[in-house]
Amino acid sequence: MTSQNTPSTAPQNAADDTMSKPPSPFMETWNYFRKNRGAYVGLIVIAIILFVAAFATFISPYDPIMQDRSAFLKPPIWMEGADPRYILGTDAVGRDILSRLIHGAQLSVSIGVFVVIISMMAGIVLGIVAGYFRGWIEVGIMRLMDIMLSLPSLIMALAIVAILGPGLENAMLAIAIVQLPHYVRLSRASVVTELNKEYVIASQIAGAGHMRQMFINILPNCMAPLIVQGTLGISSAILDAAALGFLGLGAQPPLPEWGTMLAEAREFVGSAWWVITFPGICILVTVLAFNLMGDGLRDALDPKMKR
Amino acid sequence: MALLEVKNLTVEFGSEDKPFRAVDSVSYSVDRGEVLGIVGESGSGKSVSSLAIMGLIDFPGRVTADSLTFDGQDLLKMSARKRRAITGKDIAMIFQDPMSALNPCFTVEAQIMEALQVHEGGNKKQRRERALDLLNQVGIPDAKSRMTAYPHQLSGGMSQRVVIAMAIACQPRLLIADEPTTALDVTIQAQIIDLLLKLQDDSDMGLLLITHDLALVSEAANRIQVMYAGQLFESGPADSIFAAPRHPYTQALLEALPERSVGRDRLSTIPGVVPGQYDRPKGCLLAPRCRYANDHCIADRPEVNDFNGRDVRCFYPLNDQGQPTGQPTSQPTGQNAGETV
Amino acid sequence: MSFLDSKPGVPLLESDDLARHYGVRRGIGKPDATVKALDGVSFTLESKKTLAVVGESGCGKSTLARQLTLIEKPSAGALKINGDAVGNLSDKDAKMFRRTVQMIFQNPYGSLNPRKKVGQILGEPILLNMDHLGRKEREERVRDTMAKVGLRPEFYGRYPHMFSGGQRQRISIARALILEPKVIVADEPVSALDVSVQAQVLNLMMDLQEEMNVAYVFISHDLSVVRHIADDVMVMYLGRVAEKGPTEEIFAKPLHPYTRALLASAPKIDPTHRVKSEPLTGELPSPINPPSGCAFHKRCPFANEHCSQVRPELRMFEGREVACHRVEEIA
Repeated sequence: MTSQNTPSTAPQNAADDTMSKPPSPFMETWNYFRKNRGAYVGLIVIAIILFVAAFATFISPYDPIMQDRSAFLKPPIWMEGADPRYILGTDAVGRDILSRLIHGAQLSVSIGVFVVIISMMAGIVLGIVAGYFRGWIEVGIMRLMDIMLSLPSLIMALAIVAILGPGLENAMLAIAIVQLPHYVRLSRASVVTELNKEYVIASQIAGAGHMRQMFINILPNCMAPLIVQGTLGISSAILDAAALGFLGLGAQPPLPEWGTMLAEAREFVGSAWWVITFPGICILVTVLAFNLMGDGLRDALDPKMKR
Repeated sequence: MALLEVKNLTVEFGSEDKPFRAVDSVSYSVDRGEVLGIVGESGSGKSVSSLAIMGLIDFPGRVTADSLTFDGQDLLKMSARKRRAITGKDIAMIFQDPMSALNPCFTVEAQIMEALQVHEGGNKKQRRERALDLLNQVGIPDAKSRMTAYPHQLSGGMSQRVVIAMAIACQPRLLIADEPTTALDVTIQAQIIDLLLKLQDDSDMGLLLITHDLALVSEAANRIQVMYAGQLFESGPADSIFAAPRHPYTQALLEALPERSVGRDRLSTIPGVVPGQYDRPKGCLLAPRCRYANDHCIADRPEVNDFNGRDVRCFYPLNDQGQPTGQPTSQPTGQNAGETV
Repeated sequence: MSFLDSKPGVPLLESDDLARHYGVRRGIGKPDATVKALDGVSFTLESKKTLAVVGESGCGKSTLARQLTLIEKPSAGALKINGDAVGNLSDKDAKMFRRTVQMIFQNPYGSLNPRKKVGQILGEPILLNMDHLGRKEREERVRDTMAKVGLRPEFYGRYPHMFSGGQRQRISIARALILEPKVIVADEPVSALDVSVQAQVLNLMMDLQEEMNVAYVFISHDLSVVRHIADDVMVMYLGRVAEKGPTEEIFAKPLHPYTRALLASAPKIDPTHRVKSEPLTGELPSPINPPSGCAFHKRCPFANEHCSQVRPELRMFEGREVACHRVEEIA
């Protein structure tokens, strides 16, 4: 069995243990993810919501801000006294609730996604810089984040919006700032773990500078917890935007944001339950779907990391 | 009657229709006062087989055997409760990494006393004394002050001694040591192996030593089993198995050791890799890599047979000159050339 | 600084009394302690030769590896390549240095970036140090090196977790070779591999040494591997050199008591090679609080009063250098 005649550099043949077309990391994660039924359902629901959001203008039966003075507070179609044109009924100024919900999906999804993108990008940069350079930079950044975390998130968002003025954009900025410390903490923790690994030292010996090390070499290995936090952050952002909207500080009427719809319908809880219930259900389902998907992602990304 | 007797142990993972056999019909036995060494490379199933004995194979692993008897009692046929009573007390196990075997939140004293409490009882004072006694037995210098130390304050060698102390606390009759010294330096390794052999000798314990280090097992064990990809390939007394191997794999493994290549320019290698889950050969598991393999080896699986007092799983076991016996006069096809890892 | 040029009579690599100290905080109120991980190590390495650095954990061999590859700056002493000291390097000189000295790591599972494909991992050193090469030339060079270490071409686009330990070490070796360095520091490159795979990788390293004219600093705790591959051996203990010299001299007749203990305690297959002796007692002393005099005296069977007071220096004796007061009597 000596291979003295065969140079050790001879090319291998098919009997080594890599499969002929091994799955990419994405496919492997997808395989694990699929096995989690809750996560899969969550993903499907999100896909539906995204579809609705994308094609809102085509799907929606009516214009969401058009008022029909002949149809104030009409109940949903299965109740008596309903107007068959408005499937889920109308609100106090005669706007079709179904159309408003559909456009609201567009708004909520955008809010969620933009908030998370802004927050995550800023959080990653801060966290990676803190974790990579350590020392005073780390102390400064992390203590600032600790201070932010010690304030109740909604109160802080309220304060920021109060300073900047009510409105959807300001609400989004406020929520992004409130979520920032979570991403900073996660990315810093990941960076500190990865820094000890030999591949980082190997890149250093190859001559990688700080920027390359931080963002090209280390960051991709820290993404797993960040992705999970991001999906959960979307649902959190939707809830916070709804809360701010409910308080009148977020999206301003007549924007059909679900939280704002709740605020406008406060007085009708007893008399016209459908005006407040349907937006509430939409918020619930969307947030639940994102949470399930986030949980599934965390489990799917975990066993691979453990290997 | 042997202390531990394993007959045709098989451990399978994966789906029912396409199982992966981590351990495939392995049989062995350990007597009181005997050291059995199980040696193999990664993927050989040596650790999995010992975990199966201890009942540590979780679902979805499936453990089957003709019998798995300890002191006459079949471990597979008894209730989980009875089995736990035996596996903690009469059979003890130590693992490779002492740092992860010890709970970092508790002192050394607390951990040893816990092991004593579960199986032997007694009040706190008695257990503390016994713990101190054990630490002295395993050769920890200045044991009294080490009692209140936490695992992270101990070196690798010290931690492994503490782990051994916990293992022998209940005076087990069989000790399974799974790569106990792999993570340790060579001088510490020598101390630990000496300690294990001394303890084993003093209490007439059976010792099952699992390792990938051929030299270590040749010095420490009475009998040796060579495993490959879940199967037992050769088994025999330590002094003769390496002096005159009967299985081509044992022979090749010995030749690949640097110790055997002193003065030579290149080391002998075994071309190819250990088969994984997806590319298990139909016939003999070694056939794609074996220099003596022929068509029969590639097509059919050999059983374990006795060859001059040695158990060998090979159609053509090697004779004293290291040549295969019983091969038909036609030329062997030899291994696929050019395979490397 | 032209350390790519070899000069006659000047060794390729010279470590001149390299030392590395770390400060260790011991809490508020207590003064900082100093850990002398490396305390004055000197050696030379010639082209195409292999120097093995042997020792147990805590002896400073990993610290030495970091000094040699300039991951860390030494606290004292100098590293010289072709006679030129490589203290503070400009960017341009740093690139030259990287093309001279490279490293292979121990852990095949941690030394490759899990998120990068093989082609990217191997291409990084070229990208960073040979920016005159375009993308196509870079890929060509990567593929050439892959072929040299026996990796199939289709591995170019695969991720590290799809490979076995031996294949990953080949990738690590390819990465170290890709800049065609003169010196490769190999930190326990085969310790994590099975015996049969170890043999393949060692053969590969020896072939490549011939083919590419590279010198190795081979760090290992496995003495049988060292005996096979090394021209010279340096035995370290607690940051200092205990014994240093040609491999065969040291293995045939180890003189330093620590070297003897090391060789005796390593298990051997062949019963005639085994040395009957008591295993070494005790453990490596803490580097924060090293023993006075000879670091080894507390565990040494030959230690006397003098050994506990005066630290021995390296001196020539019977064909190698030993740091022991009593070597004449022991021999």
